[in-house]
Amino acid sequence: MTSKTFSSKVHKRDDVYATQTTTRIWQELPSPDNPYITSKSRCHGYDLMDLMQKRSFVDVLYLLFRGELPSRDEAKLLEALMIAFINPGPRHPATRSAMNAGVGKTDSSLILPIALSTMSGSYNGAGALEEAMRFLRKHQHKPATEVTANLFSVTDRPEEGDWHVAPGFGSSYNGIDSMSSQIAERLLNMEAAGSALLWGQHFANSLSEDGMGWLPSGVVAAVLTDLGFQPRAAVGLYQIISAPGLLAHGVELANKSITAMPFIADEDYIIETD
Amino acid sequence: MRTISLKPINDTMVWDQCRGKIFSKKGGWKIGSGVFSHGYSMMDDLVGEVSYTQVQILNAVGTLPEKRVADWIEAVCICLSWPDPRIWCNQIGALGGTARTSVVAATVSGVLAADSTMYGSRPLLKGVEFIQKALKQKQSLSISAEEIVQRVAKKNRGKATIVGYARPIASGDERVVAMERVTNQLGFEIGEHLHLAYEINEILTRDHRESININGYVSAFLSDQGYSADQIYNIGCICVSSGVTACYVDAADRVAGSFLPLRCDDVDYQGKPPRTVPDNKLC
Repeated sequence: MTSKTFSSKVHKRDDVYATQTTTRIWQELPSPDNPYITSKSRCHGYDLMDLMQKRSFVDVLYLLFRGELPSRDEAKLLEALMIAFINPGPRHPATRSAMNAGVGKTDSSLILPIALSTMSGSYNGAGALEEAMRFLRKHQHKPATEVTANLFSVTDRPEEGDWHVAPGFGSSYNGIDSMSSQIAERLLNMEAAGSALLWGQHFANSLSEDGMGWLPSGVVAAVLTDLGFQPRAAVGLYQIISAPGLLAHGVELANKSITAMPFIADEDYIIETD
Repeated sequence: MRTISLKPINDTMVWDQCRGKIFSKKGGWKIGSGVFSHGYSMMDDLVGEVSYTQVQILNAVGTLPEKRVADWIEAVCICLSWPDPRIWCNQIGALGGTARTSVVAATVSGVLAADSTMYGSRPLLKGVEFIQKALKQKQSLSISAEEIVQRVAKKNRGKATIVGYARPIASGDERVVAMERVTNQLGFEIGEHLHLAYEINEILTRDHRESININGYVSAFLSDQGYSADQIYNIGCICVSSGVTACYVDAADRVAGSFLPLRCDDVDYQGKPPRTVPDNKLC
């Protein structure tokens, strides 16, 4: 028999919450005169001042997430990746969000968060990274052609638009993304390139007959996999990597008139009725 | 299965057709003629005639709901917008206030935070998926609510973990009781999804010491109103916003940086001990 009213009793669970926030990443030592003021900061045990003096930005970025400083080759690979994808380009939806915010006179401090929200998308954005890394981790020890055949046997080609047959791989405007292919090839020649990047190249080759290959998110995912980053961190890292380009395009338009960007004419704005 | 594309590689027709044009099934501003939403003239048919929530649902779903459905959803939004900064999304609002962001930045950040798998709007997707699938199983396979719960428990090593039937921090949910009252006041009948939700709640309360939460109730009720999971998620996308704004305002009205201030030693560092940086500059 079913009662028709729910119980109104609410009980606090006996979960035990931490009394302090803990971190293994960053240590702030208090000033002797004021416990709120930091006198020394350490990142994974390294003094921040020493890091400033002796290491590159890329080294410290790697350190933050991996807990250790990178080797020279690892740092070179990460830096090359960050240059390669520093700007999604003026046609990317995230960049266009930044431009719209800029030309729309949105507060400058909000241009980047707005653009990064769009960059969180799973279609050619950071939203695909976690899945792409998990895909590479799962399949990189299998023959690429076998994975391709399996995917083709269970996946439908969409009637319209691009086919992203696997996270990070597919078609771009119904063709192969040339820049991603070139970037992957260049990165593959670097010392720290590993098995994910190599396998991704084989996989991309096996898709080429069907007009597909690397997508930007696939290349980023492969490098971050080879460098040992966690998939959850990779999503945000891709956003960090793309942030300079997004911001630059937004700021470029921030002091321009609203007429500096197209406003679609009424005749090109088509309201479809059922 | 892979189908051979009828279009050759590098055929860009689908994108070429959209270049420089916007196609909308929703409506828009025809300058000089009016503003339209789903065939309604917004200034003539909607402003002053229907509630904001009705239009919000119209824009999210594509059909104008009857007033009492909008009133019901508005009541749910009250249930999900508490001015308590201990709730994660609200705390982000308060942190925005203490850091002196704009109210919009803080509120939107809180709304983003509530796009969580644990609380807020996103679990509605799974909540609706569960109750709609469960009802189909009940009807097509003639299985009872008890068997539905057992099937879930079997997949989870005996634990009947169902989205919509547990809640962080507390057990039980006062919001469900309040919404039950609203349901009655507005004259809604108990539909098939909600009926099943009652049955599942009874079994979970009896056997697993868990009970329905606001997600489970909303998922079942709005399923009975004919909405899909995506539509419910779209309708509820900013449901926490008012509580976040409240927490922003409270913190913004106080001394900057005074919301839960932390001394250096309030954070417990558990990482590597001090060590020397090896000299390895890239260039």
